[in-house]
Amino acid sequence: MGSPFSINGGACVAMVGKDCVAIACDLRLGMQALTVSNNFPKIFPYGDVYLGLTGLATDVSTVSDLFRYKVNMYRLREERPISPQTMANLVSSTLYERRFGPYFVSPVVAGINHTTGKPFICGFDSIGCIDFAKDFIVSGTASDQLFGTCEGLWEPDLAPEDLFETVSQALLNAVDRDALSGWGAHVYIIEKDKVTKRLLKGRQD
Amino acid sequence: MPSIFRTRVQRAAFHRDHHRQSLLDIYRISSSTSDSRAQTIDDTPADLILTALTPSTPTSSSPSPHSSRLYSSSTEVLLGITGKDFTIVAASKAAMRGATILKASDDKTRALNSHSLMAFSGEAGDTIQFAEYIQANIQLYSMRNAMDLSPSATANFVRGELARALRSRKPYTVNLLLGGYDQITDKPSLYWIDYLASLAPLPYAAHGYAQYYCLSILDKHHHPDITFEQGMKILRMCTDELKRRLPVDFKGVLVKVITKDGIREEEYADDHSVACP
Amino acid sequence: MSRRYDSRTTIFSPEGRLYQVEYALEAISHAGTALGILAQDGIVLAAERKVTSKLLEQDTSAEKLYILNDNMICAVAGMTADANILINYARQAAQRYLLTYNEDIPCEQLVRRLCDLKQGYTQHGGLRPFGVSFIYAGWDPQRQFQLYQSNPSGNYGGWKATSVGANNASAQSLLKQDYKEEYDLKEACGLAVKVLSKTMDSTKLSSEKIEFATVGRTKNGKIYHHLWGADEIDALLKEHGLAKAEDTEMSET
Repeated sequence: MGSPFSINGGACVAMVGKDCVAIACDLRLGMQALTVSNNFPKIFPYGDVYLGLTGLATDVSTVSDLFRYKVNMYRLREERPISPQTMANLVSSTLYERRFGPYFVSPVVAGINHTTGKPFICGFDSIGCIDFAKDFIVSGTASDQLFGTCEGLWEPDLAPEDLFETVSQALLNAVDRDALSGWGAHVYIIEKDKVTKRLLKGRQD
Repeated sequence: MPSIFRTRVQRAAFHRDHHRQSLLDIYRISSSTSDSRAQTIDDTPADLILTALTPSTPTSSSPSPHSSRLYSSSTEVLLGITGKDFTIVAASKAAMRGATILKASDDKTRALNSHSLMAFSGEAGDTIQFAEYIQANIQLYSMRNAMDLSPSATANFVRGELARALRSRKPYTVNLLLGGYDQITDKPSLYWIDYLASLAPLPYAAHGYAQYYCLSILDKHHHPDITFEQGMKILRMCTDELKRRLPVDFKGVLVKVITKDGIREEEYADDHSVACP
Repeated sequence: MSRRYDSRTTIFSPEGRLYQVEYALEAISHAGTALGILAQDGIVLAAERKVTSKLLEQDTSAEKLYILNDNMICAVAGMTADANILINYARQAAQRYLLTYNEDIPCEQLVRRLCDLKQGYTQHGGLRPFGVSFIYAGWDPQRQFQLYQSNPSGNYGGWKATSVGANNASAQSLLKQDYKEEYDLKEACGLAVKVLSKTMDSTKLSSEKIEFATVGRTKNGKIYHHLWGADEIDALLKEHGLAKAEDTEMSET
C-alpha cells in the first residue's frame, strides 16, 4: 500500500460516441481496505466540460476546487464557457506547475466543443502529460480492468443510449474485479445540447 | 535530546507559523508552539508522510502510515452519529502517551462556534495545536462578520488548512470529526476528515480502531431519521463493543450533542463492566 | 485657498473634508445613471449607456453591468477603467472565498471587501481614489435578496431602491415616490424603465441606450442572474410604451 494513488481507491472512465461523450466514476472512498464513504463522486462539472479525478482523495478535493476557481475566473473574464480543449491544456499546465511535488491524481477530461460540435476526451498523468484518445480513457485503481472491459465493449459511433449502456457495463464490471473501487457509480452522457446524469446503484459490497 | 533535533523542530515550527500568519491574518495564538511539537518529533519518523508523498517513491512499498505512525492514536476513540435533529460526538477520555495513560478525563473536543464541534485524535501536540488554531480562526470569522460559519463551510475550511499543512515541511497528524447543526437548512451534519485531509460528509463516522468495531454496528442499526434516544442507544452498543474488544482501556467516552439549541455535554455512565464472551 | 488641501487624498481640509473623494463623487455624477430596485422575488438593475458616436463599435458585452459570481451582479457608474480593476478584484475575492469555504461569499462580505480596498485610497498613498460607484444585487441564504450601494469613499449601505450617476437626485426622489414593498420583479422592472425614461435626456428609449439585468429565483428554487438581450429590453420598453417611435426607426432599417 505504498502508492498514494491507491490509498483511497476509485475509478473513472470516459468514452466517445456519435456526437456524444460519456464519463463515469465510482463512488467509493476508502482507507486501504476499509470503506469510509459510498458517496464520494469523482466527476466535477465545470459548465460544459467535465473533469474526472481519481487518486488520493485529498488531492481529488484540492484539485477539483482549484479548477472550479480557475474555470470560473476564465468564464467571467472571457464571457464564454471554457472549451474541452482549453480545459485540457489548463489541466496540463496546472499539474506541471507541481512537477516536483505532484498532486496524486489521474484526471480525465470529457466534453463537446460547442464551436465545432465535436466530442472530446483526454486523460493525463499526475504531472500533466496529455493522453488524447479517439475511443476511451480510463483511470484509477481499476484502470487495468477498465482497459479490458472497454477494449471488449467499445465500438465506434455509439448512439447516446448505447454509449450509456457500454460505459456503465464497462465501469461496473471493472470495479467488481477491484477491491478498492465500486459502491455505485455516476454516469454522465453529454450531447450537444443535453446532459443526462444517472446514478447507478451497483453492488454495495 | 540531541541539539540537532531542537533546531530542526524550531526551524520547522517557525517556518510553519510564519507561513500561516502571512496567509491567514490571525494573531499568534500560543507561544508554546515549538515546545509541544518538540515532544512529539524525536520518537517518530518525522518525514514518513513526506516521503510517502514525494514523487520519488510513489510505487515503492513504504510502510503504511496507519500501522506505524498512528499506532497510539488508533486506540483513541472518536465516534459521530447524526439523526433527525441532532449530531452526537463521542471521544475517549484517556490521554495516552505510549503505553501510559496520563489522564482519564481528557476532552478531545473543541467548540468552534455555537453550533459546530470538532473532535480530534492523533499525535499529541499536533492535535490541540491544530484544533485551537482552527477554533481561533472560526471565532475570528464570527466576530468579523457578525455571523457564524456554517458547518459545511467550517469543514471545508478545516480541510483546506490540513491539506495545506500536508504539503508543508511538517504536516499535522490529526484525525478529525466535525459535528454541527446548520441553522439555515435546519439539518444536522457530520464531517469525517483524516490526517491526509480527505473530507467526507457522513451520517455516522469513526476514527482509529473504533472504525473496525463500530462501523458495522452503525451500518446495521443507523437510519437517517433516528431520534436522539435511539442515537444514544446505538452509541451505547458501540461503546460496549469497544469495551468488550479493544485491548486497551480508553477510560470511557465524553459525549457531546449538537442540536438547534447549540452544543451540550450529555451525561454518559460508563462505569459498568461489559463481559467478554 | 483650497488648492492646499486637494492635491493629496490623505489630507483633510480645515472644514474636515477630503476633496479628492468629493471630486471623485463629482466625476461620477456626470456618468450615465444606474439604478437598482429590490422586489419580493428578485432584484432589477438598470443602467444608461452613453452612446457617444454612431461609429463606435456596439460591443456585445455589457458596459455597465457585470457579473461578480454565481449569485451577485453589479451596476457601475463612473470610470469604466477603474471599475474593471475593482470588478476583477471582487471576482477573485468571491472565488477565493468559494475555494476556502466551498460556499458562495455572503453579499455583504463581498461588498465590504471592495469597500475596504476603496477606503485604502482615501487614506494612504498620494494616489487618487477609484472614481466608481457601484450598485450590487445579490442573494445569499442568510439574508436572501439584497441591494447595496457603494461610493469612492468606501462607504456602503443596503437599500430597497437606489440610484447613482447623472440625475441621481431626481431618480432617487422618483423611486421614493413610486416604490412599493410588495412589488414583484416584473413590477420593479416597470418602475425601473419608468424612472430611467424620466431621468435620461431622451424620453424615448431603446436597447442601445440602456442595459438591464435581473437576479431572481427559478421555479425550482435555483438563484439565477440574467443580463438582458436587446430584444428583451425592447419588448419591455414596448410594453410600457417607452420604445422609440416607429417612424424614427424606419430610416435606419
